[in-house]
Amino acid sequence: MIDQIPAIIVLAPLFGAMIIGLFGIRDHRVCLPVVFISLLVSLGASVAAAQQVFNVGTINYFVGGWEKPLGIGIHLKIDALNSLVLVVIGVVVMLVSFFSIRRVGERDTEKTPYFYILYLLLCVGLFGITITSDAFNLFVLIEVSSLTSYALIAMGSNKRGTVAAFNYVIMGTVGASFYLLGVGYLYLKTGSLNMDGIHAILMLETNDANVGASKATTVAFIFILVGIWIKMAFFPLYGWLPNAYTYCPSTSSCILAPLMTKVSVYVMIRVMITVFGLDWVFVELGWSQLVVWLAVIAILAGSMLALAQREIKKMLCYLIVAEVGYMVGGAWLADPDHWGMTGALYHILADAMMTLCLFLFAGIVAKRLGAFEISDLQGLFKKMPITSIGLVIGALAMIGVPPTCGFFSKFYLIRGAIEGGHWEFVAALLISSLVNAVLFFRIFEIAYFGNKPAEGHDHSHDHSDDSIEEGKGSDSTVLGREASWSSLFPLLASAAIIILLGVFNGEVVALIRVTFENSNHLSGLFR
Amino acid sequence: MLTKVFATIAVVITGGLLLYGVSDFPAFGDPHSPANAGVGNEESISQYFITQTYKDTKVPNIVTAVLADYRGYDTMFETVVIFAAGIAIFAILRVTGNEAEKKSIKPPLDSSINGDHQRIIVGTTCRIVIPVVQMFALYVVAHGHHSPGGGFQGGVILGASFILVAMSEDLNAALRRFSEKTYLTLACVGILIYAGFGLMCQFLERNFLDYGILQKVLFTDGPEMARSHSMLGVEVGVAFTVTAIMFAIYANLSSRGVLKNGL
Repeated sequence: MIDQIPAIIVLAPLFGAMIIGLFGIRDHRVCLPVVFISLLVSLGASVAAAQQVFNVGTINYFVGGWEKPLGIGIHLKIDALNSLVLVVIGVVVMLVSFFSIRRVGERDTEKTPYFYILYLLLCVGLFGITITSDAFNLFVLIEVSSLTSYALIAMGSNKRGTVAAFNYVIMGTVGASFYLLGVGYLYLKTGSLNMDGIHAILMLETNDANVGASKATTVAFIFILVGIWIKMAFFPLYGWLPNAYTYCPSTSSCILAPLMTKVSVYVMIRVMITVFGLDWVFVELGWSQLVVWLAVIAILAGSMLALAQREIKKMLCYLIVAEVGYMVGGAWLADPDHWGMTGALYHILADAMMTLCLFLFAGIVAKRLGAFEISDLQGLFKKMPITSIGLVIGALAMIGVPPTCGFFSKFYLIRGAIEGGHWEFVAALLISSLVNAVLFFRIFEIAYFGNKPAEGHDHSHDHSDDSIEEGKGSDSTVLGREASWSSLFPLLASAAIIILLGVFNGEVVALIRVTFENSNHLSGLFR
Repeated sequence: MLTKVFATIAVVITGGLLLYGVSDFPAFGDPHSPANAGVGNEESISQYFITQTYKDTKVPNIVTAVLADYRGYDTMFETVVIFAAGIAIFAILRVTGNEAEKKSIKPPLDSSINGDHQRIIVGTTCRIVIPVVQMFALYVVAHGHHSPGGGFQGGVILGASFILVAMSEDLNAALRRFSEKTYLTLACVGILIYAGFGLMCQFLERNFLDYGILQKVLFTDGPEMARSHSMLGVEVGVAFTVTAIMFAIYANLSSRGVLKNGL
């Protein structure tokens, strides 16, 4: 049983989706139990896999039993790098499933089963991307996750969501094609699709045409990198993200915003470490300086654009753009002890929980108000005290106040930046924290002290028309009662995890750093 | 204007990079290129496939063996991609109830003027062609592991035959033969067949999609024939899904999601 774990993690949601397709469309009551059971299986398997990885060692799984020579079959691998990412994906999708309960209860439509099929297939894609160790299989699963996310975004009744989804289709396809082109170039030069296999061939020094130094390999790396950057909305390539995540149904934004960008960052780090190797990326290519500067621009631009937004969901979207800058910059700091990379990996976990928490909050409030602006939040603390706890903890984590995880991820990133000599990155992180503080304390002020401004009634009325959720009535009554427990539970749980991740940051980082300890884990596998 | 300038710059840079990379590609058709001969002392994957496929699987069509067995996990997810595309179309387009009334396409008024003559010619032709198309589709599916073809190709041809019914008569006629419930079920069943083959291997305590062990269930002599038969099985699964989704996409797109009075 234990050796089948990698397959179980990916297959449980796949079978769940098919069962919903067969039975759920006729009887909607089937959907929720199936979603919960299949995601619980995946989560349990991910936790078991993480235990196995840290107690015993890397889990290798060869689909179809095609083990030797390496690369004829498809190789799934769970190691220190991805086991924690898998657990976080499992936790996030589980919590979002709780949040989605009301879809079936109050607002059941004939599209509910389709929503859950797409939702489970998205989980398949995300788990699959994280678990695979095959460059082409990664592309196939990127396709699965992208297609489902386009549909999840376009499913709302909001027309702007459909347009945003179309933009995302175009950009996402361009990104995926770039990735595929890169893999094609790499295959031409190495003749392998297995990540460990490609790495071993790139490292071979005796061959006549040095593959690692060839132009085509460099071009392949650039194409893969740019493709993933489009997928993760790295600054100049972020155009699709804000509208797509703002105008989609809130359940969709709660699963996409925390996971899609973070998984893409994981893919970038996986490609850097496992496929090309950090020596090649930092020494042979030597672009660390350039990419860190790009990240600095991304952080500053994301923060400034967030500051300019009045709609909360859109503001959160621009914060994601800034956070992606944190992670890309951290991964490229190239400091000798890999603290930057550690910070980036820790921030993948931390940011997934922070984004989840804030988007759940936005989803809960959007249920009442539709598209809402910061000024609509007045009186929130008094009327919805439990929901506000989620907002406060999520916001403090974004600002980086201890003991939340946001503080520690910045701590490790700054440590990496100082050791790598990238003071501009330190400055960008501090400025971004300041901007976040301004942003969220502005919200706190309105939510705690805010008096009703004169035009408040006016604009809340006119965007209730194009809002996704049917928030109606004037703003004095909409915030009237606390949200239901099915929405509050994931919010509070994510808030609790934010604090736990922060308190136990030493342990988590120790687990992350296992990756860098046994960096020659490849040699045993490849012959 | 400015966006066009940016777009041109992006295109030129991308094209330039691609050409720059091409400059040290192995020569076209070079038998010693890394993909063909491997790098260093490693035996290349293509050499392995060419020499070992028939021994491993008893399937003469190497492409099918790579697709459905060695890299069957990829192919399963390619099928899932097609399935997801179909479900995405339902999720976005499909409408019922009042909205459907508003959106439904009215049949053109002048259809009675010369419609009947056309219907005779087109209808008769299709009546002759469609069975042949479907027979050929089944042949392509069933013979995929011996000759070019397979589940995707056969599924597309089979799906096209139903689209032909819809185009020559009307959408309702096609939906009477292949209703919404049927094609949704068929799409799911297709993937369940594929994944089910894999799951069965797991129940027999092998890895996912390790067909060799299925000799116990399929009563073949040796794991090689079990692999061959299982490949046929998963191809059939792929064909189910592709057929259903092909037709479903046509039906939803052509009737704006109403599934009545299409084009």
